[in-house]
Amino acid sequence: MPPRAEREVGGDDAGRVARVWGLVSAHAASRLGRASVADVCAAAATGVDVSGAWVTAGDGINPGQAMYATDVVGESLAEVQITLGEGPCHDAAVSGAPVLAANLADGSGNEWAVFAEAAVRAGAAAVFAFPLRIGAIRVGVLGLYRDKEGPLDTLRLGNALILADIATMLLLDAEARQADDPLFVAPPASQSPGLAAHHAEIAQATGMLTEQLGVGITEAFARLRAYAYVQDRRLSDIAHDIVTRRLRLEPDPPG
Amino acid sequence: MNQELLTDTFVDLADTMVADFDVIDFLHMLTDRSVQLFAASAAGVVLADPRGELRVAAASSEKAGLLELFQLQNDQGPCLECFRTGRPVTAADLADQAQRWPRFAHAALQAGFRTVEALPMRLRDQVIGALNLFRAEPGAFEPADLRIAQALADVATIGLLHERNVRRRDTVAEQLQAALNSRVVIEQAKGKLAERRGIDMDRAFTMLREYARNSNQHLTDVARDFVIRGTAEFPPPARRRPGS
Repeated sequence: MPPRAEREVGGDDAGRVARVWGLVSAHAASRLGRASVADVCAAAATGVDVSGAWVTAGDGINPGQAMYATDVVGESLAEVQITLGEGPCHDAAVSGAPVLAANLADGSGNEWAVFAEAAVRAGAAAVFAFPLRIGAIRVGVLGLYRDKEGPLDTLRLGNALILADIATMLLLDAEARQADDPLFVAPPASQSPGLAAHHAEIAQATGMLTEQLGVGITEAFARLRAYAYVQDRRLSDIAHDIVTRRLRLEPDPPG
Repeated sequence: MNQELLTDTFVDLADTMVADFDVIDFLHMLTDRSVQLFAASAAGVVLADPRGELRVAAASSEKAGLLELFQLQNDQGPCLECFRTGRPVTAADLADQAQRWPRFAHAALQAGFRTVEALPMRLRDQVIGALNLFRAEPGAFEPADLRIAQALADVATIGLLHERNVRRRDTVAEQLQAALNSRVVIEQAKGKLAERRGIDMDRAFTMLREYARNSNQHLTDVARDFVIRGTAEFPPPARRRPGS
């Protein structure tokens, strides 16, 4: 039997990320707004072929907070997990790995008996939870549900992962904006979230900045992106300069 | 072939899999032992991310030139071919492969490699990644060595997808994503430690790994705690005598 994944991996990452970004941007444009997690949830309906989606913000340690849901089913799936402290999103937030429960009525909900029963009653047959995280940076969970059971195929799984990367960046931006950080400038959507999440030197440079700037990992990443944006250079190039110690960032002056 | 080392390798892999283990640490053991067993100059494991890329999960060295060779293989090269066909891919002399993989062959030669082999990591009909071996001298790896290397890759695949609980879920995708994110956590920790101690990334990785071993913790947990809390008391790096 030939391997299944042919043409689904390799060679076309940038194009694929751009296409999924396009879906999110189109939803944002249609409501004349800045892209937000609401647009990610809306894009999931077309890009991943699910019945609904929601986003919960949280660091995986403290209970999360529901940010947005496409419908009442999504809303109740988000709320019930926060209330019960169990379910696929709860596990994804704690472990940092996706949790794919393709058939809640038939076994894949066994670990969360109370949640599974509530979810099926609410109208969900399958729930897929994607942590919003970049390494040790954790900002929440993207939840997807389907009213019919069955797994996500590789293509849709990939799209869901890219949507989770985008939601991660949008939540990080929103956090920085809320903190009213004068140094923070929201980078444009064109900075590939896939790249930011998976480029080894970007992760290394982010770690280095925690020491150079004396800040936490989340803020270090915000500073790195803001610097790249202000300098009008690629994030990976800035990261390379930091890792090769050609560039150091200075902490804020006191006051 | 060093029979004793081979025996030790299978025993260590089996021992690791019986216990609760760290996937990235486990894959690093595989790349390190591959280098020793098969007289390779470098080895790496790439995993297929459903986002559409092959990503490095472990490499025998953190040198930039080697990491770039894995990155490049998203466009062309033995790992991509191996991943797409599910079969081993051999190039006994990269100097002859300029037509087949122009950019990859050039970069590999630049990095000092002449021979390359990619072995599939397969689970039934699904290819989840590849074990990539490099050698500085031209000349294919011995067929007997490649059979053993394939067996190691198979054991690693099982280890990678090892389930702690039997669950009716899509655990292959879950485990692969967990492994890929672990790798990012470790990169963040390497950066933090390298900056704090003024050391290079290779040394930072070794220190994190030793710390995990000595404290009997998962490498990923050590890395995450260090990134978030930054308080791990690393043993000071061994002092070098002046002139040594």
